[in-house]
Amino acid sequence: MTKPKKKRRRDDSAAAAVFLTPAMLGYALFIALPIVLVFYLSFTKYNLISAPKWTGLDNLRRFLTDPSIGPAFGNTLKFVLILVPLHLVLGLLIAYGIYCIRSSRLQAIFRGVVYFPSIVTAASVAIVFSAMFSTNSGFVNYYLTRLGASPVPWLTDPGWVYVTIAIFSFWKTIGTTFLYYYIGLCNIPTGYYEAARIDGASRLQNFFRITVPLLTPTIFFVLITTCIGVFQIFDEPYFITNGGPGTATVSVGLKIYRVAFKDMNYGYGSLISAVLFLVILAITVIQFFGQKKWVVYDYE
Amino acid sequence: MNRQKFRSNRGQRVLILVFVLLSILFLLPFLWTFATSLRLPKDSFKLPPSFFPTAFVWQNYREVFEKFPFAKFILNSIFVTFTVVLLNAAVSTMAAYAFSRLRFPGRERLFLLVLAGMMIPAQATIIPIYIIIAKLGLVGSKWSLIVTSMVSPMSIFLVRQAMLTIPSSYDEAACLDGANKFTVFFRIILPMCKSSILMSGLLVFIATWNDFLRPLIFLSDWNEMTLPIGLRQLQGYQMTGSISVIFAGVIISLIAPVLLYAFGQKYLVQSVSLSGLKS
Repeated sequence: MTKPKKKRRRDDSAAAAVFLTPAMLGYALFIALPIVLVFYLSFTKYNLISAPKWTGLDNLRRFLTDPSIGPAFGNTLKFVLILVPLHLVLGLLIAYGIYCIRSSRLQAIFRGVVYFPSIVTAASVAIVFSAMFSTNSGFVNYYLTRLGASPVPWLTDPGWVYVTIAIFSFWKTIGTTFLYYYIGLCNIPTGYYEAARIDGASRLQNFFRITVPLLTPTIFFVLITTCIGVFQIFDEPYFITNGGPGTATVSVGLKIYRVAFKDMNYGYGSLISAVLFLVILAITVIQFFGQKKWVVYDYE
Repeated sequence: MNRQKFRSNRGQRVLILVFVLLSILFLLPFLWTFATSLRLPKDSFKLPPSFFPTAFVWQNYREVFEKFPFAKFILNSIFVTFTVVLLNAAVSTMAAYAFSRLRFPGRERLFLLVLAGMMIPAQATIIPIYIIIAKLGLVGSKWSLIVTSMVSPMSIFLVRQAMLTIPSSYDEAACLDGANKFTVFFRIILPMCKSSILMSGLLVFIATWNDFLRPLIFLSDWNEMTLPIGLRQLQGYQMTGSISVIFAGVIISLIAPVLLYAFGQKYLVQSVSLSGLKS
């Protein structure tokens, strides 16, 4: 037998250049350059008309003394603390419930219903939610008063608006979370359940001892993606309350929009964006390190 | 499939009842919108509400088109979305091909860089992107929405994953027959990744069709506006006009997602499952 000829190292650099040019051009211009620019602009005063003026740490000083910054980050944190647990827990319960339904036809219908709001235009269904939750003319309050409760100021009370936005956001976005969980559930090998049944495990034991631990990679994924998403929350407060009443629901995203595109203050807006980016990055990194303590990838 | 947890029929019945109620809650806003969109404007806020049409005032639907350049909004949305989906598919399949089947120095590092792009929150870079669009002279034009959506790291990732599963013997056999890289790409690899390309296309379609922030910032002229922004203008009309007419607009805006869902549900579910996978 002859020794197999050593394979010649292939090099497709020329072809690769052709295939990659469009993607890399777009990547450089609209993904890489912006992230560099946002940090550069943070140290400038810029209004798009005259050239950016280097102002050093002025924006940062302003950021630290701006009385509207604390509330914007605080409001965003409130959204995170309300919405992330809702997604983590209710998303899993909905997915688990649908997964346990025996009829595959009914499963498909419920799956479709829960997922559907995720693909409709937020701008259009938000109009409907505003009308539904209107204090005087909305049907939600109509039913509440019929049940003997007093009308709830869904859109005008600084506390209740969080409930309203949470309901809207949950309805609008739980579908994707649900699907992640549902797919995770379907990927759990049935052997584990069979073994548990032989050992006489109860329903609850099954859920907490098998389902949840085996789902930890999915739970981690949902935690990361919803955190990143909710920290950027913009659509929901913009549509439902436009930041109101007063400034009760102005999120960081809304604040950036107002500073940059209403006040034409691109330098200061960039600084807030950069801080938001760093906050999200830090939280993601912490979660990646934290996952080692609770996420189970290997079950051998 | 294991369903032993709710084996008893009573358990199943309770479970189904819970989800029927949940489904009603989830669908109620749509039912109410549709029923209201067909009512006489003076009845639009009638209480108690009815969730099924009590009248059929199709005039509301005509009025949306008469009072607003609604047809223009729809055409703009269709044009932008389809152009983005096609360009995005072309750009990302080409890149995915290079990242999965061509050998060149620095390939893995470059791919990691692309993946890192997925981690960048959209809010963080919207200001520089606007400035770049302004420098390119595209502010106010719907092309601003198209060029900024051309590259999506998620699409490149999804299609690359599919291409990696194709055995390299396919390329080698074709090369022996004298095919060049482009023939291999078009004739062999692309047809074999159809479903992945379709899936990532669906995700891009939904994101572009529903996008609100960028059109809000980039566009100002009604002639260039897409549907979500146009609907926002409709909402402003709520003060003076009729909610029935506005809801007719809302229902029209739901047509595309409904169609998409009807035809692409299978692919949508798959795409979500794939985008949640780690490489």
